[in-house]
Amino acid sequence: MTHGADGAGEGRPQLAGRAGEGRPRPRVPERVSVPHRGRDLGGLLIAVALFALAAMIVSDASGYRIRRSYAQFGPEIFPYLVAAGLAALAVLTVGLAWIGGFPARDRLNAGPVAWIVGAIVAQILVLAAGLGFIAGSAVLFGGAARGMGRRPLVLTVLVGAVVAALLYVLFRHGLGLTLPAGPAERALDALFR
Amino acid sequence: METFSLLLDGLAVAAQPSNLMFALIGVMLGTAVGVLPGIGPALTVALLLPVSLSFGATGSLIMFAGIYYGGMYGGAISSILLNTPGETASIMTAVEGNRMARDGRGGKALGAAALGSFFGGTFATLGLALVAPFMVMVALSFGPAEYFALMVLAFTTVSAAFGGSVVRGLTALFLGLAIGLVGIDKLTGQARLAFGFPELRDNISIAVVAVGLFAIGETLFVASQRVGADDKVEAVRGSVWLSLRDLKRCLKPYLRGTALGFMFGPLPTGGAEIPTFLSYSTERRVARGEARADFDDGRGAIEGVAGPEAANNASAAGTLIPLLTLGLPTSATAAMMLAGFQQYGLQPGPLLFTNSPDLVWGLVASLFIANVMLVVLNMPFVGVWVRLLMIPRPWLYAGILTFASLGVVGAQGSVFALGLLLVFGLAGFVMRRFGYPLAPVLVGAILGPLAEEQLRRGLMINQGDWSFLVGSGIALTIYAVAFLAVFGPVLWRLLAPKGAKTEFGMDTD
Repeated sequence: MTHGADGAGEGRPQLAGRAGEGRPRPRVPERVSVPHRGRDLGGLLIAVALFALAAMIVSDASGYRIRRSYAQFGPEIFPYLVAAGLAALAVLTVGLAWIGGFPARDRLNAGPVAWIVGAIVAQILVLAAGLGFIAGSAVLFGGAARGMGRRPLVLTVLVGAVVAALLYVLFRHGLGLTLPAGPAERALDALFR
Repeated sequence: METFSLLLDGLAVAAQPSNLMFALIGVMLGTAVGVLPGIGPALTVALLLPVSLSFGATGSLIMFAGIYYGGMYGGAISSILLNTPGETASIMTAVEGNRMARDGRGGKALGAAALGSFFGGTFATLGLALVAPFMVMVALSFGPAEYFALMVLAFTTVSAAFGGSVVRGLTALFLGLAIGLVGIDKLTGQARLAFGFPELRDNISIAVVAVGLFAIGETLFVASQRVGADDKVEAVRGSVWLSLRDLKRCLKPYLRGTALGFMFGPLPTGGAEIPTFLSYSTERRVARGEARADFDDGRGAIEGVAGPEAANNASAAGTLIPLLTLGLPTSATAAMMLAGFQQYGLQPGPLLFTNSPDLVWGLVASLFIANVMLVVLNMPFVGVWVRLLMIPRPWLYAGILTFASLGVVGAQGSVFALGLLLVFGLAGFVMRRFGYPLAPVLVGAILGPLAEEQLRRGLMINQGDWSFLVGSGIALTIYAVAFLAVFGPVLWRLLAPKGAKTEFGMDTD
């Protein structure tokens, strides 16, 4: 953990969380600890992405139909300004990455991240296949809970299905929100009719 | 005097049973999300934006304000008992509060926090009611140049105040501005950055951006660093009711904290972090006698809880001044509330006070009611909220993700929006990992289109002459403040003694 291992001076309040290493501390502010020296590949990739975004905006804006108006400028002026800012910031980001100006990062715990991203993708696929909100949410809930360390997957998906069914009834029949309906939803709707 | 009659009218609106119910739902939700580390009021308002469309404008805004205030109360509970601030606004509360809890005086700390929140919230809301009409009078004289300058001020200060680096703050802001570009241009009908997707032509919903960045990004971030150790929750020990002696010790910190919070809330510095920090350091500096000993021996001083808790609630009220009178959000939650107004076709600003006085004054009056509800919810019923801390993290975050997707699918009705949600979630995750603040993205995405409108309106009036931007004294003054906001901290860092640097990377109120 990066917290607490840096130079908050004497008499300065410690910003939260001295106790307990390695537990999730979502809201605790990251303080910049001793920057790791040397180039930061991740930072350089961010700079590249910023350049790409700026280029995308410019190429899009250059295709707008030219209009003459009192303003002398049309819908392209603000995109150009934003793209210029992004490009300038990309250059500065390269500098930041070069001197190691990003805060130190913890080792990436890739497994849970992959589980959660996978769960969202799976939910999108289930919804696109027309299987309905409950099935999609069960997959999402189950995958995410499994990724955060709860197993087995069968249990987490089942819990997810129950939670999703409750949410569906509450929001579909309680608040009238339209949610994607599949076989399970139609069965529930029949019960409530 | 007129203010009070308006406020009384507002009270009649706020006291309608349905609005009372929305206030109660708001403060309960707000306290709950304040207690739970990892989700805050900004995210909650974002999650509820799509769902709340059927509630009506007044009801949902009263609910959102209740969430904002409730979050400030609830944040103290996890700070004190868990040493994990539920919100950034409660970071300073954790310092002395958790020490008090470990010293067996957790009840007192919770009591001092709840009373402080009530004190700060009530008096600052009174201040809001008194100051807002004057701000409205000033704001009525503003033209495009002044509004554009104000937005530049909001952009720069929100970007500079947090994130520890001006470059990262500004990068986050420009990402937000780029998001704001997507969709049909209002003045000419030109589709921008839509790439042929009909969903993109209708603009990217701010709720999708906020939920993606905060809910998905935050969950990924927590998952990425999770090791599995469980948090230690201190039991509530001792009574939450304060003795007369405690009250005496708390009174001055309450007053100072309220003043600091109310002064800093309206400034575009990104929320409650600065006033709570200043309040804590003030209390620590001026402590004498018993208080001094409590600070120095690490037993935990009640003043260190009282001041910051009064300050964070006062700042929430202060934040509403520029939001309501100018349409300028100065914190992430305020930005989400602005999105809530826009959802109903309302544009906060001086005209809102003349066009919808019922809504504005009903909202202000409901804040007083919300404060009373909150102090009741947080003193006798504190034990109920503590149980929330026992929810296992996997279930909690899986539930957050499910609810997030429900809001987005329900409102947008398309799987495409879920794809966007994932994109913003991944972006939020990368940004958190690399120390980028998230609030500037929201402020950029919400204010960007408004700033563009002012700029192009000004250009149209002045036939393409850019010099109108610097042609007004008020605008120039605002630019000077904006310049100081960006370069002031840099200068301060150069001048400040080494080791006195504190940098914040989070920004979600």
